Amino acid sequence: MKEFFALTLFAGTCGFLLAGYPVAFTLAGSALFFAVLGNLFGVFDFALLGALVPQIFGRMTNPVLIAVPLFVFMGVMLERSKVAEDLLETMGRMFGKLPGGLGIAVTIVGALLAASTGIVGATVVTMGLLSLPVMLKRGYDPKLATGTICAAGTLGQIIPPSIVLVLLGEVLSSSYQQAQLKQGIFSPETVSVGDLFAGALLPGLMLVSFYLLYQIIVAWLRPESSPAITDEEGTVGAQGLIAMGRVLLPPIALIIAVLGSILGGIATPTEAAAVGAVGAALLAARRTDPRARMPVRVAILAMVLLLVLTHFFDLRLGRHEIPMVENLAIGLAVALAAALTWGVITAFVRLGRVGILADVTRATLSITAMVFVILIGAALFSLVFRGLGGDDMVHEFLHGLPGGVIGATITVMAVMFVLGFFLDFIEIIYVVVPITAPPLLLLGVDPVWLGVMIAINLQTSFLTPPFGFALFYLRGVAPASIRTLDIYRGIVPFVLIQAVALIVLALFPALAVWLPKLIYG
Amino acid sequence: MAVKEDALTTAARAIDRLNETIGHAVAWTALALVILQFIAVVLRYVFGVGWIWVEESIVYLHATLFMAGAAYTLLHDGHVRVDIFYREASARDKAWVDLLGTVFFLWPVSTLILIKGWPYVWSSWAILEGSPETSGIPAVFLLKTLILVFAVMMIAQGLSMAARAVLTLRTTATDSQDNGAP
Repeated sequence: MKEFFALTLFAGTCGFLLAGYPVAFTLAGSALFFAVLGNLFGVFDFALLGALVPQIFGRMTNPVLIAVPLFVFMGVMLERSKVAEDLLETMGRMFGKLPGGLGIAVTIVGALLAASTGIVGATVVTMGLLSLPVMLKRGYDPKLATGTICAAGTLGQIIPPSIVLVLLGEVLSSSYQQAQLKQGIFSPETVSVGDLFAGALLPGLMLVSFYLLYQIIVAWLRPESSPAITDEEGTVGAQGLIAMGRVLLPPIALIIAVLGSILGGIATPTEAAAVGAVGAALLAARRTDPRARMPVRVAILAMVLLLVLTHFFDLRLGRHEIPMVENLAIGLAVALAAALTWGVITAFVRLGRVGILADVTRATLSITAMVFVILIGAALFSLVFRGLGGDDMVHEFLHGLPGGVIGATITVMAVMFVLGFFLDFIEIIYVVVPITAPPLLLLGVDPVWLGVMIAINLQTSFLTPPFGFALFYLRGVAPASIRTLDIYRGIVPFVLIQAVALIVLALFPALAVWLPKLIYG
Repeated sequence: MAVKEDALTTAARAIDRLNETIGHAVAWTALALVILQFIAVVLRYVFGVGWIWVEESIVYLHATLFMAGAAYTLLHDGHVRVDIFYREASARDKAWVDLLGTVFFLWPVSTLILIKGWPYVWSSWAILEGSPETSGIPAVFLLKTLILVFAVMMIAQGLSMAARAVLTLRTTATDSQDNGAP
């Protein structure tokens, strides 16, 4: 009886979701509906719902999740200030003269934007608006062009720092602890967001190289599908190179700084995200207002000098005895911090004057609220699903599968893949992962490997016709001359590449596990 | 359609205006969050200083951002929908989905959060619950109150959404049956 309710809850919710009411409330609302129904039939205890409010409060005060709005702010800032656009144009000019060059440029920019924003919808839309017309004008095969943009746009899920990995890391760490406690391990090992970032880096780069390889092969086999730019703009002099460097280097430096400080174990993802957000604002100010160049330079210089100073001197305050030299250094550091403050504030003021800042904060608000309201809805759904014994059911089912660990993992991956057609990654991470991950981890699956597999799997799911989200996003901004069928057919090779990547990762788990071990021991 | 505004439209418009204003104000907490977290990083890595109240105000800002901003997001239709069918649906069908979804999903859930949250927040107010840390911000009761604020704002914004849906249904009923957006 209970199991029947758990099953209908799941099926019913999927059905309700298709109606199109916002996901967060549909999840929570249908869960509540089944809770009432289950209560009437005496299989659900209402007292269980008492945990909802403390859980909401837990999510409000979770320090790991603070990285989400910060990364969103960073990404939206780069997008709205057109820094991302410049990146795309410059890359296009750099590679345009090669056969397949535009496709290569789009792939690389997709990877770079992925590393800096990690918002799939925004990346696909931006690249669709900017590069699709260019590619079509140059005579690219529409199928190849749309496939390239969709695939490159979803890299944001897998290439760190990504919001998907932040959320996944948060959920997996509690699943991992739960699994170990069940095995009687009372000083459990932990898995962190940093572990997942490190784990996803190599597989992410592997995917990018697969994409690039595909572009090169297509350009070689079917040159007419991806022609090179031949006209006069193709010529780039020394001055052009310097201008390119100006556009390309700052965002790349920013990405390396953010990612490096996380992977280097220096900063937490949240801390690095804050630095990234401020850095993005500096680049944005420099891009939009020439008068902001000086303050931005001062701020960046002050930041670099502060780093150098910290490296050579002990600047900690609040010690009993501070040697004379260090006192001087501290004085200098305070002056630098003041300069940094001035530069950053001026940059923000400039961004405020042109209206970008208000725009960015509002977009950050909307996206952040969207994410967290789903977390709240998913909390209620999970409570009811558990209360109806759904997680025990899943547990028994996975343990009873033929093929042991492998069979169970494949099943879970297949289920997530299918659910990825209907649900966004946040719902899957907060609804499906807490239910399915603990049994898999109990069977001995490595949490980092599992996390990376889930991330690539979901990315694939978003690319797969007819329901892939990325395809919808692109359809929304593609010109009417592009048929939906072209988009569907164009993505097929990339879905196959994704499948190959998943198989490679399944056969060689070291791709995901090696780097975190190396870094975090 | 009658030009005269009825109570429904007036109410919807008032709620929208209120949540728009609140949303614009709350959005700035995103900027404050970025700046404060950045300051915390500089203080920690350069000067080796970490103040608990700075860390805690970051948490407060973060929670305020999405709890008080959720209604604004709903106003601007920023909450993700599974729009495989919804996107292609007629204005009338969309209005039905929005109306029924609000009545059967949004309102009951918000009410549940209100009912369950009330004693939770009340007991926090009763002792004016402070931070578990000695030098933390003594306002955890206010932070918890955000849960009720969230629920109330969502119910209100749901009212506006439902009102608009009803208006759409009313106007399209008198026009043709399908494709009725005026």
